[in-house]
Amino acid sequence: MAEFVWHAVSPLQHSFTPGRMGETADAAGVRMAEIRNFNLVQIFARRGQWSAVAKAAKAHFGVEAPTRPQAVSGKAGVLLWSGPDQLSALTARRGDEIRPLDALRDRFAGIASLSDQSDGRCLLRISGARARDMLAKVSSVDLDAAVFPVGAAAATAIDHTAANLWREADAADGSPVFKLLVFSSFADSLWDTLVDAAAEYGIEVESPAGL
Amino acid sequence: MRIACPFCGERENGEFTYLGDAKPQRPAMVALDAGVGASGEQEAFYDYVYLRDNVAGEMSEYWYHGGGCRSWLVVQRNTMTHEISSVKAAAGTGAAAVKASARS
Repeated sequence: MAEFVWHAVSPLQHSFTPGRMGETADAAGVRMAEIRNFNLVQIFARRGQWSAVAKAAKAHFGVEAPTRPQAVSGKAGVLLWSGPDQLSALTARRGDEIRPLDALRDRFAGIASLSDQSDGRCLLRISGARARDMLAKVSSVDLDAAVFPVGAAAATAIDHTAANLWREADAADGSPVFKLLVFSSFADSLWDTLVDAAAEYGIEVESPAGL
Repeated sequence: MRIACPFCGERENGEFTYLGDAKPQRPAMVALDAGVGASGEQEAFYDYVYLRDNVAGEMSEYWYHGGGCRSWLVVQRNTMTHEISSVKAAAGTGAAAVKASARS
């Protein structure tokens, strides 16, 4: 009997080639890249077990679990608030480590429900001097630095598509860096929306990167 | 209209879905025979399932923040002016304990 070999492919593999898009007169105002090779586990605390879950998350990931819309970055990855008493753990996928639940199962046994979403989401990095202007066209969340500082996160909807948006440490040139996590099946359509929104600022599509 | 989600902050109403009146409480119904309760109980259940007040003014409503944190909220809204006076999480949201009174 023939053996099937499954190869994961990015939902964006046909959407872009690295390089310039949109306005090309000046330096690109928006830089976009797809982040590949990550593991994503959704952690839902069981009734009354939030403090035990927060403790277990801290022990495993080495950072405090967020209790409000925040993305907490640590060495192991990012703990992302995704709802009351829920969080998403985003970590780099090393080699063929495609079963992220194995390492978590014992630690969260009885206190949380875990769900592997690694291939269910697509992750984008959006940066550049005009990144905020571009996101303002598609998001109703106020992304001004005064109210959306580094580490702030939002579970929101962009173009009727549920998405997690958060801000990471600024780029070397001082421009803001946002991460956008979206359902894989909507990634292609959202990508087109973002490209349309950013075209007037000039877009530099970067090569897919790791976490 | 914008709704101040107690978890996410103020968001546009496109992120929310409306369910309806938050007042009706599920009556206790003791099945006597093949799922049929006593007539008083049936009456109360019929009321709970089908009958709604058409409120002109302050109303307590369920809204679902599906485009955000996926929490059920209880919103006090004036149906004449759309003015929202309070928004709080519905009982049992997140891993919080469900209050006994909210269940009965």
